[in-house]
Amino acid sequence: MQSFWLIPALPLAGFLILALGGGRLSRGAAAVVGVGSVGLSAVLTFWAVFAFLAARPEQGAFTQNVWQWIAVADLTPAIAFHVDALTLTMMGVITGVGFFIHLYSVGYMAGETGYARFFAYMNLFVSAMLILVMADNLLLLYLGWEGVGLCSYLLIGFWYRDPANGYAARKAFVVTRAGDTAMAIGLFLLFDRLGTLHIQELMQRAVDTWPAASAMPTIAALLLLGGAVGKSAQLPLQTWLPDAMAGPTPVSALIHAATMVTAGVYLIARTHVLFELAPAALTAVAAIGALTLLLAGFSALCQTDIKRVLAYSTISQIGYMFLALGVGAWSAAIFHLVTHAFFKALLFLGAGAVIHALDGEQELSRMGGLRRELPLTFLTFLAGAASLAALPLITAGFYSKDMIIWEAYAAARGSLIWWFAALGGALLTVVYTFRMFFRVFEGPLQTRVHHAPGVSMTLPLVVLAVLSLTAGFVEMPRTLGGVHLFSTFMAGALPMVQLDPAREGHEWFFQVLSAGLVLLALLVSWRLFRRPIAHRAAGADSPLKAALQRWWLAGWGFDWLYDRLFVRPYIFLARINRNDVIDSGIDQIARGAQTLYRTASATQTGRLRTYAASMALGAALVIALAVWS
Amino acid sequence: MQTADFTALTPLLLLAAAIAAVMLQIALKRSHILTIVLTLAGLIAAMLGVLAVGDMPARQVTPLVTMDRLAFFFIGLILTATAATALLGCRYWEHAVGQCEEYYLLLLVAALGACVLAAAHHFAAFFIGLEILSISLFTLMAFARRRMASVEAGLKYLVLAGISSAFLLFGIALIYADVGSLAFPIWTARLQAAGETVSPLLLIGMGMTVIGVGFKLALVPFHMWTADIYQGAPAPTTAFVATVSKSAMVALLLRLFAPVDFTAEPALFWTLAILAFASMIVGNILALRQDSVKRILAYSSIAHMGYLLVAFLSGGPAAIAATVFYITAYTITVLGAFGVVTVLSRTDADADSMSDFQGLFFSHPWLAGVFMAMLLSLAGIPLTAGFIGKFYAITAGAQGGIWWLIITLVLTSAASLFYYLRIVVAMFSPPLENKTQPPAAGISYSGGLVLTVMTVLLIWVGSAPGPLIDLIGRITQ
Amino acid sequence: MNVPLTHLLTLAGGLFFIGIWCAVTRRNLIMVMLGIEIMLNAAALAFVGASLRWQQMEGQAVALFVLAIAAAEVSVGLALIICIYRRYRTLDPAKVQ
Repeated sequence: MQSFWLIPALPLAGFLILALGGGRLSRGAAAVVGVGSVGLSAVLTFWAVFAFLAARPEQGAFTQNVWQWIAVADLTPAIAFHVDALTLTMMGVITGVGFFIHLYSVGYMAGETGYARFFAYMNLFVSAMLILVMADNLLLLYLGWEGVGLCSYLLIGFWYRDPANGYAARKAFVVTRAGDTAMAIGLFLLFDRLGTLHIQELMQRAVDTWPAASAMPTIAALLLLGGAVGKSAQLPLQTWLPDAMAGPTPVSALIHAATMVTAGVYLIARTHVLFELAPAALTAVAAIGALTLLLAGFSALCQTDIKRVLAYSTISQIGYMFLALGVGAWSAAIFHLVTHAFFKALLFLGAGAVIHALDGEQELSRMGGLRRELPLTFLTFLAGAASLAALPLITAGFYSKDMIIWEAYAAARGSLIWWFAALGGALLTVVYTFRMFFRVFEGPLQTRVHHAPGVSMTLPLVVLAVLSLTAGFVEMPRTLGGVHLFSTFMAGALPMVQLDPAREGHEWFFQVLSAGLVLLALLVSWRLFRRPIAHRAAGADSPLKAALQRWWLAGWGFDWLYDRLFVRPYIFLARINRNDVIDSGIDQIARGAQTLYRTASATQTGRLRTYAASMALGAALVIALAVWS
Repeated sequence: MQTADFTALTPLLLLAAAIAAVMLQIALKRSHILTIVLTLAGLIAAMLGVLAVGDMPARQVTPLVTMDRLAFFFIGLILTATAATALLGCRYWEHAVGQCEEYYLLLLVAALGACVLAAAHHFAAFFIGLEILSISLFTLMAFARRRMASVEAGLKYLVLAGISSAFLLFGIALIYADVGSLAFPIWTARLQAAGETVSPLLLIGMGMTVIGVGFKLALVPFHMWTADIYQGAPAPTTAFVATVSKSAMVALLLRLFAPVDFTAEPALFWTLAILAFASMIVGNILALRQDSVKRILAYSSIAHMGYLLVAFLSGGPAAIAATVFYITAYTITVLGAFGVVTVLSRTDADADSMSDFQGLFFSHPWLAGVFMAMLLSLAGIPLTAGFIGKFYAITAGAQGGIWWLIITLVLTSAASLFYYLRIVVAMFSPPLENKTQPPAAGISYSGGLVLTVMTVLLIWVGSAPGPLIDLIGRITQ
Repeated sequence: MNVPLTHLLTLAGGLFFIGIWCAVTRRNLIMVMLGIEIMLNAAALAFVGASLRWQQMEGQAVALFVLAIAAAEVSVGLALIICIYRRYRTLDPAKVQ
């Protein structure tokens, strides 16, 4: 496998072509470059997967050293790839889902200015994300990590003429930066203590050097967790993701649902050895996941903007993945990551088709009755919603989520609390998903449909809908026949979950219970939201309920809190320091340099005699120095 | 002399043959194109000669020169830079009033002098090489003789170089009077062995040699000529002065002083260290608010030679490798930078003031990109050759423990960003309204070739320095 | 006849100082060139003296090189001075800029 480097290099080449020559390319050519480069990467990725399955490499991974930049003592920054089952899974998601989203964008962005710029950023994103998952050392991973952050910033603010979009982009950048800083400190700590950033080597040395549950691995793991929390929009750094919906919808699908926001999950899975040394950090991961999935679920219930519903739902689903990581159900987390990438990308693209059809309308209250107008979108959206809501047996989401719910209880590190949280979240998911679904597709028509989606938009919808329904069959619980293709595939890279033998026997009971509750919740939301809002009794909302709704709509007021806690004090301090005390010192240096410049320039008279004299004087000085020093 | 001696001298002999050929060609039939072709053919032949014999064991040919790997490396560097200058010159002199074929002849002669300097093993060879180089440089600088600035530059350089040569020569005489030999190794051995009891004659001689070296490298306080000459001389000549004459002098610096253990000879160390310190500070300060791009590059060259001395002064084998790497990276970068200036210039007026570069990005985006890459390399931004050069200089300095020089290097090169970025900002600012675009015509193929090669080298050395480091490691063993 | 080295070096040093004084202070380019010539010749004298001390021909050979090179330098210098004079009608370096 000497061609791994091509997989991230192709989208990078696409980016360079589009960025340097984008202005001169026709729209068609820009689309061909943008989509084609990712498509070729996808083909190569799947070829790599087949090669991997055909002949498993030793130690479960292909490695490739592309080039080493410099080598100074222990610091050997290199571009080197480590491709194991986990990486291949991520690469498949990034290039596969990425390709379909690029294809969809050809239609979605057709009327926009900055067409080539859009594909340039998207290609750069794919490249950076691939580097992130393929990196064999944390330094390169960090490069990809910052690269995807940059692309996210650029794409959220893609329509930069509206200052609100610029604000959202900055917010995303600044909030994730808080996490990135923690992660960078974590990397410094690891490098300082263990003397390497090569991931496999690092994990080995961590095990050799640090006893389990000691302070050092806990601190390092918590710092890495900080980075993961920022990137994956988990508590307490989740506030940027709903605002990030200001970007074009394909961006939300690719970056803020399928790939970038799951980078935190990938990071923790990649460094799972370190986290296993730090049980406290693992518990923190589970707690953050459980809390996030519940809070975001409630917030999703009250959103009025279709994309914000999906954004909160993404936060909530990633919460599931964190919960799974926290209880040591590594491959369940990655499994949910994959199915989530399919159905959430599908939902975003479906929402995009709706928004596109309604000429930019995003408010749920102004949608409705689209079932007959957009039948294909309706069907595919239904498939996505069913998968998100984890309707039993027929959807991919069911198998992955059920695995997490069950293992949250049955894993050695699991407990009933985690199980309750996961189950509660699942019920919330059903309610908010179908609330959104009914609002969009049922009831009377609210807004006229302007244009129906073209083939380039419907094809990705169909493909992703099929995947959302069927991708779950690669991993089925024992009670349903016990297919373990996915976790066997993953076993080379991630340890199998350790189940508590005492709890293992109750599996069928828990599954029937959760499946039944899900169906019940579906019935509830059908009763509640089937009819349009106007038909319900107007005065039914009690003040308490209205207040609660406002609170959840604002995402539990985190923005308000952070505004009071950080933003305002900062502005206050900045206002006090209006004259810039610290800078004035630096200004003095600049002024001093200017004075020196003027003095020194005065010697540059252009006169030969001055020059000759200064040479003679300099000569005298040098000779004196040589003789007397 | 034996056959092996001639074999070792192949590059120099080929270069000399090329000089004779060009001279005859000019006498028989003047033709710009023919001269260029002959010049390049001679340079390429000499380069092939370097490749052919460059790997043979070191050989001392007559008492005057030794042809070892270091010499071959620097000869290769000098020939490359000369070829680049010649290529840059083609379009520049094409529209010159009067005859321009002699320019290439003088370039070749100057290159020969520089090559002798790089291979010198003896003070006589040192002096002769230096003077062949200098006397050709006077005329190269004054070559645009309709432009008074050019003639003045030539004259100024002549007077100041004359004074510095006289110092150098007198210093050599004193050393000879004390040591009784003009060969380098005997002198350095004496310097090394004498320790505390070095005779004053030797010390004064050493100081005067440092003056000669310092003048050519434009170290403070022998830097006065730099800005006027960089600005006044025709742009290709400036590129030549900034690269060939400096790298030849660095080669000589290595031969003269690298064998000396600085701890045993503090006088030499402190003299050079103070020159380096002053050069870093004064060079960067003088460049700060300059409005002439050529002067900025001139002052920055003063500072860069200071950085180079930091690498050199750290002592030990790492120091030599770092110095050689630095001058190589610097040569690539400066050829690129002056290449852009040359491409934008015409014989009657060089592109020089900041306003000539304003809005360059919009009229010539590629040219602006190349210039920006070169400036970033001079500033030492990662992924350029200049970064690796500076990085190795700092590493070598840290190994040698000369912290005060390293701190000066870091602080002054941070300050240097200011003036490099000023040029970059000007290039990306909207073009001036009332300003005629510098050259309306496209870039010549020859200039484009030089710029492309330099840019590729710059990024290649900056992103994958391994091969070059290995090569230099083999040379400096 | 045996002249001590110190005498020769003192003479050469004195000439050198005269030369540099001349090169720095005179207001005529020809005189500046002359000053440089004196400096170079002082160096040549020192070479001859040193060569006498060691009873070698090496130093005298270098002195001959110096003469040749000084001639070359002066010829180029005079050419440039003529060029300058045609334009400015003066040989004062202070007025040429």
